[in-house]
Amino acid sequence: MKSLLTRKVLIAGLLSCFCANALADSLVIRDVKVHTMTSAGSLEGTDVLIDEGIVRAIGKNLSMSADREIDGKGKVLTPGVTSGLTKMGLVEISGIGQTSDASADNENFTAALEVVDSFNPHSTLIPHNRMHGVTRAVVAPAAKGSLFSGSVALVNLSGSVTESIEQRNLGVLVQFNEFAQSNSGGSRSAALASIRRSLKDATDYHQEKALYQRGEGRELSMSLDDLDALVPVVLGEQFLFANVSRSTDILNMLALAEQFNLKLIIVGAEEGWMVAEEIAQANVPVIIDPSNNLPVRFETLGARLDNAALLHAAGVTLMFTGMGWQNTHNAHLVTQVAGIAVSYGLPHEAALAALFLNPGIVFNLDGEGQVAEGRKADLVLWSNDPLELMREAELVMVNGEELPLVSRSTRLRDRYFAKLKADRDR
Amino acid sequence: MLSCRAYFVQEGFVVKQIEILLGLLLVVVLAACSEGEPEPAKDLRSAKNPFPSTYQIPESKPLLIRGATILTGAGDLLEDADVLIVEGVFDKVGTELSAPSNAVVIDAQDKWLTPGLIDVHSHMGVSSAPGTANHTDHNEMTNPVTAQVWAEHSIWPQDPQWEKALAGGITTVQILPGSGNLIGGRGVTLKNVPSTTVQGMKFPGAPYSLKMACGENPRRVYGGKGKLPSTRMGNMAGFRQAWSDAQEYQREWQRYEAKLEANDSSAEQPERNLKLETLVGVLEGEIRIHNHCYRADEMAQMIDMSKEFGYEIAAFHHAVEAYKVAPMLADNGVCAVMWADWWGFKQEAFDMVRENIALVDYAGACAIVHSDDGIQTQRLNQEVAKALSAANRMGLKIDRARAITWLTLNPARSLGLEETIGSIEEGKNADLVLWDSDPFSVYARTEKVWIDGALRYDREDSSVRPTSDFNLGIIAPEEDRP
Repeated sequence: MKSLLTRKVLIAGLLSCFCANALADSLVIRDVKVHTMTSAGSLEGTDVLIDEGIVRAIGKNLSMSADREIDGKGKVLTPGVTSGLTKMGLVEISGIGQTSDASADNENFTAALEVVDSFNPHSTLIPHNRMHGVTRAVVAPAAKGSLFSGSVALVNLSGSVTESIEQRNLGVLVQFNEFAQSNSGGSRSAALASIRRSLKDATDYHQEKALYQRGEGRELSMSLDDLDALVPVVLGEQFLFANVSRSTDILNMLALAEQFNLKLIIVGAEEGWMVAEEIAQANVPVIIDPSNNLPVRFETLGARLDNAALLHAAGVTLMFTGMGWQNTHNAHLVTQVAGIAVSYGLPHEAALAALFLNPGIVFNLDGEGQVAEGRKADLVLWSNDPLELMREAELVMVNGEELPLVSRSTRLRDRYFAKLKADRDR
Repeated sequence: MLSCRAYFVQEGFVVKQIEILLGLLLVVVLAACSEGEPEPAKDLRSAKNPFPSTYQIPESKPLLIRGATILTGAGDLLEDADVLIVEGVFDKVGTELSAPSNAVVIDAQDKWLTPGLIDVHSHMGVSSAPGTANHTDHNEMTNPVTAQVWAEHSIWPQDPQWEKALAGGITTVQILPGSGNLIGGRGVTLKNVPSTTVQGMKFPGAPYSLKMACGENPRRVYGGKGKLPSTRMGNMAGFRQAWSDAQEYQREWQRYEAKLEANDSSAEQPERNLKLETLVGVLEGEIRIHNHCYRADEMAQMIDMSKEFGYEIAAFHHAVEAYKVAPMLADNGVCAVMWADWWGFKQEAFDMVRENIALVDYAGACAIVHSDDGIQTQRLNQEVAKALSAANRMGLKIDRARAITWLTLNPARSLGLEETIGSIEEGKNADLVLWDSDPFSVYARTEKVWIDGALRYDREDSSVRPTSDFNLGIIAPEEDRP
C-alpha cells in the first residue's frame, strides 16, 4: 500500500509506472462469502485469487499461493458499490459557492452542461466514500434555472486525474416536478409542453442539421449546443434521466418516452409504487432513495418505506441513492438505505443487485458489478453483511488497484485521538 | 432544575404513590410546580408558565414484559430479563417477576427493550411537512436576538412527521427554533403523543431551553441584511450585549423587589420585557442553554462567555468538532450533541470524524446523538450503531449498553430530565420501546412503543398507531396516507 505522498510523486513522474507498480502484488482471500452477482450466486467459504489487478480464480480451497493472504472467515466479498445518483466530485462544501459546480443558472446552456467538465477527482469526498465501499458513482447535476440540468456521467472513485471518467454522457437530466412547474411559469402543463418542444426541436434539428446551422429553418426553443446534447437522447443512444415524484407525473414521463422512443430512467419516484406495473411494463429503471417516506412536498404525499419492495415485486429494475440529501458527502450511506429497504420487504438479493449489479446492466458496462474470473478486481471486503450498520470495509479495490483506507477524516481522527489518549493517560 | 420528577407526576394518577414516597415535603414542591390554570401575568414572577401542559397519562393496566434483552439506557445490558410497569412507571426490573392478576403479559423472547428514545434536536411541528413556505415557522429572522419567541407557539400538532418518529421509538423530543439568529428563542420539550394542542404534548415540568447559534448562520443571515453580526466577532458582540442587557434588567427587578420587601412606597414595577425576561431565566438557572456550535474554538469562546455572565451551557448541538475539545467539555459539564456522520454542507461542518461521538464519550464528556431531520429521527438507533461501529473499528471497545446511553440517559441529562426519563430503572417513567431484534442492526424494527406505560404505537394494530389529521383522505378519500 502506498502513501498518498508517494502516489503524488509517482503521478508527477510517470503515471503508467505507478499503475503497473500498484498492481504487482497478488492476493488471495480465503474462506470468504462471495456475492458474485453472477449466475453463480452467493458462495460460502470460497477463496478468491487476484493477480495483476484481475480476478484469476474463484473456488473452494484454491491451491495457488499469492504474495499476500487474507483470512476472510466471517467476512463478505462483493463488487464495489455504485452510488446511483450523487453530486460527488462536483461539490466540496455545499455552502461555499466557489467549491460547488453542481448546477448553473445559465440561459445559454442547459442540456449542454457536461458534469465531467466540473468533476474533481481530488475531492475529499472521493477517498471518504471509497474507503466505505463505493467504487463507482452516477454523477448528476442539481436543478437550477432550467428544465434540463445537464448531462449525467459515470465515474470511478480511483481518484485518478486521467482515469476517473468512465462514461462522459450516460444521458441528460430533466426536471418534471414542482421545480419544473414553478420554473415554467406555474403549471406542469407548461413544463411538459416545454419538454416536448425541446425534444421535437432536437428531432427536427437532427434531421436537418445543416439547414439549422446555416441559421435557417423554423425558430428553435433551445440553442444548438443544447440541442446537440439532446440529439443522442432522441435517437435513443443516451438516457433521459427524469427527476419525477408524483404518480401521474411518472405516467406522463412514460408516455413521453413512448412518444419520442426514448430510453428513460426515473429518478426519485416517491410515488412509483402506485404505478409500478406501468413502470415495469415500459421497462424503465428507477433510481430511488428507499428511506424517503415523508411528504416533504405535495408531490411526494405517497412516499413510503416499502416503495422499493413494491417496485421490485412489480418487476422494476432498481438503483439506489441516499441517504437523503447526504447522498453526496456520504454517498456510501446508500448501503444503509438498501438495508432499510430490506427491513421493509425488499429481498436481500434484490437490494444487493441494486447496489452492485444493476448499474452495470442498465448502463451496459461490460461485467462491472460482478465478481468473476477474468474480470478487473473492483471489490470490497466487508467485515460482515454490507447492508449492516456494524460493519466496516476492510479492503477496497478500484479497477484492480487496492487503495488505502485513509481520508481527510481519518487523518483528523488520528491527530486528535493521539491528543485525547495522552490526556487520558496522564 | 431539581424535582422535575415531582413537577410532572402530579399530572397523572401517580401522584398518590409519590406522595407516599416523599411525604409532606412534596406538597410544597407540588404547589410551586402546579401546571393547572394559566395565571394572569401580574408581574414577572407569576408569568413563568402561562401555557401549562395539559398532557394526561391514559389509564393502563399493569404490564409485564418477560424474557427480553434489555439495554437499560443507563449503561447495562440485561439478558433474559423482565420489566414490570405499574401506573406509568417502571415498578420492577429483574428476572422471574410475577405479574398482578390484571396485568398484560408480553413474551419478549429474542426481542430487545430500550428506554424510549430522546431526540434533543428536532424541528417537527415548527418546520413541518410538507415543507412549504407556510410551514416554515422556526426562524424569526427579523432580529439577531429574539429570546422573546417561543418554539411552542409555532408548533403544528398535525405535522405528519410526529408519528414517523414515534414509529422509530422517539418518545421525547426537544423542539427548537432554528439557527438563523444568535439567540433564536425558547425551545420546548414534548412527549411524542398525538394531540390537537401543543399544550397536550408538553412534558409537564420540563425546563425550558434557549436556542443560541454560533458561527456561520447568524453572520450570514444578518451580514446579508447589512446588519450586525456580519462576522464571528460580530456574533460575540451581539451575544455579550444581550447578556449585559439581561443583567441590567435583572438588577432592575431586584431593586424593585428589594423595595417591595422593605415596604418602600417608591417601588415601581419595571416595564416587562419578554426578550430580557427569558435571558434572565437563563441567568437564574431556570432555562437551559442549547447552543448550536460546530467549531471547537467557538465552543471555547462560548464557555468563556457563559462564565463572564454567570450561566451554564447544557449542550453544544451539531458539535462536529467536539472531539477536538472533548476534555474541555467534560471539565465544564457541557454535553455534545452530534450526528454520526453528517458533514460538508458548510465549512464549519467540514472536519467531521465518524468517531466523534465515541471520542467525546472516551474523554468522559456527555455524548448525545441527535437528528435535526425528519428522516434521521425515525432511526436514531441506526446512527448510534454506525458511531459504535466506527469506534470499535479504531479499537475503543465500547459496547452496546454504553452506546445506547447516547440516545437515552445522556439526552435526558441535557434536558434536565435525568431523574425522570432516559433509562429503564425502577421509579422512572415507563417510556419503552420493544424491538423485534437487535436495535443495532439495520433490519431491526420497533414493535411497540409505550409512553408513561401507555401503549402509543403498535406495529400490528393500526388502532394504536396515530395518524395526523393531515393524512386523512389526502391521497384516496377512504384511506390514510401511509
